[in-house]
Amino acid sequence: MHGSDEGRPWTFYAFAAFFGLFVLFLYGPMIVIYILSFQGPNGGMTFPLNGVSLHWFNALISQTRVGDIAGSFVRSIGLAALVAIVTVVLSVLAGLGFRRRFRGSAFAFYLAIASLIMPGLFVGLGIALAFRLLGLQTGWYTTGLGAQLTWTLPFGLLIMFAVLGRFNRSYEEAATDLGATNWQRFREVTLPMLLPGIIGVALFGFTLSYDELARTALTAGAQNTLPLEIWAMTTNVTSPTLYAVGAVTTIVSFIVIIAALTSIGAIQRRRARGKQAEQSHG
Amino acid sequence: MVSAIGAEAKGATGSGAVEVANVTKRFADTVAVRELSLTIPHGAYCCLLGPSGCGKTTILRMIAGHERPTTGDVRIGGRSVLGLPQVERGTAMMFQSYALFPHRSVLDNVAFALKMRGAGLSERHARARELLTKVQLESFADRLPAQLSGGQQQRVALARALITNPRVLLLDEPLSALDEYLRLRMRGELRRVQKELGITFIHVTHTQLEAIAVADMVVVMAQGRIEQAASARDIFVAPKSAYVARFVGGQNVLTGSVDSLMNGTAAVASPTGARFAFPVGEHRPARGARLYGAIRRDRIVVEKLAPGAKPAAGLNSVAGEVHTIENQGSYVKVTLDLADDEEFVAHMADDAYFANPLDIGDKVVARWSASDVKLLDDGLPKENPAPARGAAAAG
Amino acid sequence: MALLDQTADGAMGAAPPTAEQLADERSGERASWWQTAPLVIVLLLFFGLPMLVVLAVSFFDFSRTEIIPAFIFDNYVDLFRSQVTLRLYLSSLKFAAIVWLVTLVLGFNIAYFLVFHVRSLLWQIGLFLVCTVPFLTSNIIRMISWIPFLGRNGIFNQALEGAGITSQPLEFLLFSDFAVIVAYVHLFTLFMVVPIFNSMARIDKSLLEAARDAGAGRFRTVAEIVLPLSKTGIALGSIFVITLVMGDSFVVRTMSGGQSASVVSALQNEVAALQYPPAAASAVIMVIIVTLMVAGILRLVDVRKELAR
Repeated sequence: MHGSDEGRPWTFYAFAAFFGLFVLFLYGPMIVIYILSFQGPNGGMTFPLNGVSLHWFNALISQTRVGDIAGSFVRSIGLAALVAIVTVVLSVLAGLGFRRRFRGSAFAFYLAIASLIMPGLFVGLGIALAFRLLGLQTGWYTTGLGAQLTWTLPFGLLIMFAVLGRFNRSYEEAATDLGATNWQRFREVTLPMLLPGIIGVALFGFTLSYDELARTALTAGAQNTLPLEIWAMTTNVTSPTLYAVGAVTTIVSFIVIIAALTSIGAIQRRRARGKQAEQSHG
Repeated sequence: MVSAIGAEAKGATGSGAVEVANVTKRFADTVAVRELSLTIPHGAYCCLLGPSGCGKTTILRMIAGHERPTTGDVRIGGRSVLGLPQVERGTAMMFQSYALFPHRSVLDNVAFALKMRGAGLSERHARARELLTKVQLESFADRLPAQLSGGQQQRVALARALITNPRVLLLDEPLSALDEYLRLRMRGELRRVQKELGITFIHVTHTQLEAIAVADMVVVMAQGRIEQAASARDIFVAPKSAYVARFVGGQNVLTGSVDSLMNGTAAVASPTGARFAFPVGEHRPARGARLYGAIRRDRIVVEKLAPGAKPAAGLNSVAGEVHTIENQGSYVKVTLDLADDEEFVAHMADDAYFANPLDIGDKVVARWSASDVKLLDDGLPKENPAPARGAAAAG
Repeated sequence: MALLDQTADGAMGAAPPTAEQLADERSGERASWWQTAPLVIVLLLFFGLPMLVVLAVSFFDFSRTEIIPAFIFDNYVDLFRSQVTLRLYLSSLKFAAIVWLVTLVLGFNIAYFLVFHVRSLLWQIGLFLVCTVPFLTSNIIRMISWIPFLGRNGIFNQALEGAGITSQPLEFLLFSDFAVIVAYVHLFTLFMVVPIFNSMARIDKSLLEAARDAGAGRFRTVAEIVLPLSKTGIALGSIFVITLVMGDSFVVRTMSGGQSASVVSALQNEVAALQYPPAAASAVIMVIIVTLMVAGILRLVDVRKELAR
């Protein structure tokens, strides 16, 4: 319908410029931080750059003054991986369950939505209070994990809704027709076809956990997550070490994101390849 | 692992005769199929024909095992298949959208059923290649389904369904996803394959001409019931009811009330004043009873009235105005407006038409001979409905 | 797929389900139950129950060192009596309203651009990802990255002075309400973009062409067709943004330099001081108010058909 030669209305350029500004707005400040993290040893928190060095990156690993960055970093990644796995398993299962109508489905759905919208601090407060009243200690793998799941599970569920909504059931029927048992059908057809969506859920589970602050503030237990460390730093650190932390943590995020997106892209491309390669004869 | 293939060959022996015994299927608040009985002989090509919502796909899915009848039984080769797992049913289904697994190669798609039964890799790949050769796609074995055209995908779907040597192949509107040209070609392909394999094909469609073209036995359905099950020939030339006559096409439905009865022929007067003669055979309709008859559209002669001339009040003719004219290649479809609700169409041979072409709005008279009229069941006293049996394959 | 059956004797087809049908439905339902159970259990344990605990604690008494189970309304009474409460709510609501407006305008235009002006699907996905990726990185880092940008010696001021537009650094840029709003917009616009993008993508493009054929200009087309059909996305996005802003404490603390406060930041103070019951009461009130706002939005727009596939 649109010829590739058709000229674009002036509004296109207006919008494109607007979009460009928005992207700048999104990325600009982050880029500023990355640049500033290479601040020279005598430089301050803002421009101009007083020499270029890796001094502040070194400070991350060597100085204990800035808190336990390295430790919280490793712990956060571990927790995020765990959250990702749990989120995937629970969201995929629940997503499959929601394909049928069943009594209580509305309750489960609104429970998930409410968990999504509830301010994280309230959830954290509630968990901490509950454990305190029960006489239990908050802990990394109990309340910390649980609190983060209240944030990642609704996301995972919504993503599965979107993916399953587009999933044609006749593939599963064909598998049954060809003799597959329920388990075979799930392993050979359903799971592989949902894989891009599952990777998406894992991606969200990991990054949402890795960056989570509000819910974990009261529930992480004795040890800090990386975001909690960073938060502590914002109030008492006055050197570009903070920027170095920011740069490092964002690089990790980017690595995970790019890994997930390229694997999704690779899968989709393999399966959709050949739309142009259609043969002319039947 | 020879036993794996041997085990599935067991399904190939044994009759592919399908019997649907007094089946009713209810969904949440609707009845899709109502007390339907149907027998399809082994090796027949049977088409289930009807409009959307008539229940034909539901029947197909019940035979395939994807739905369970609410009441009634489904038997294949004399044995009930309700609740049986796929391996023991002896059926295979070809889906309307083909449902080829997009994440597996063509070869893996075709070999899938064997993999489910535990056959080894080299063995099932060899067998899959055999089948791909049969449908002339052996060079596409390693491609992904997305890289194939619609017609090629359909052949892969066919090969995939056939690898288990089913006794009955179920096709859910197999041709509706193809464009017109491919559709006509694939019709012949399906027919050829069926004859070669000698198994039962059950093919669901809403296209009348397609059903007549491929099937030995056509089952016309409406609202969950069978209207008529007969050979393709009989469905066309001897429809039992006005519904079948109208749906299959090729016939006009005439109706009127009985004036008099003599020698197996009833004189019938239509509401618009036309008079027809219906052969009624053994029936003895009462005076004033409503009768329905069918006249083939290609057995009608249409003549233009000279301007000002009044149509002769003859038997077996109607007068009206030309409403539409459609060139169909070897014949011309002329629709007449008769000032009633019934559609009246004449198929005129192209030579005859173009010798004296008509215009829209022309006043014409259409005539036919009484012997070409077939009495329809509507309005006649109902007999006890016997289970619809498939006619033997008529050529 | 199936028609209502009406036989000649007038019986309607909707007969009661047979035992077999019920058994089929039940087994499907049971399967769905155990599939959704793990997720529901986790959410009940770590969300449902804690919220009930908060509700309970809001009625407790407390001393300097501990909380005392009781059933008193003092916490609520104190809240309603206090002027601070009103001030905090006004402050939060003010932020919520402004941020909502700005993100709505931004989000709508960006979604519109992506859906209607970008032609290649690949570009659409690519640009969409470009917008989404920052969301998947650390929120705090993104927030504090504005500090060197907006500060007195920050980039923005330096650029302005360098270009000769101002002679003195603009003070209001940082540690002010302005900075808070900028940070909120930076963090939350995506939550507007995604639902609106979703809604817009479902609009049949031929509707726009039909409007154009009928003589509608670009603006009229948007007002008459695109806007109404995006209502669901706008409603969803609004719900997200409003609840996020109302529920925030970290952004307002950092970016206002302590000058402004929100309900939740005050609550965080109370928690830090171990004054749990008042904090709980504050949370309960907040939840009620936000729920009313969300319900109000849902009243205006029926969102269910878009969420329920």
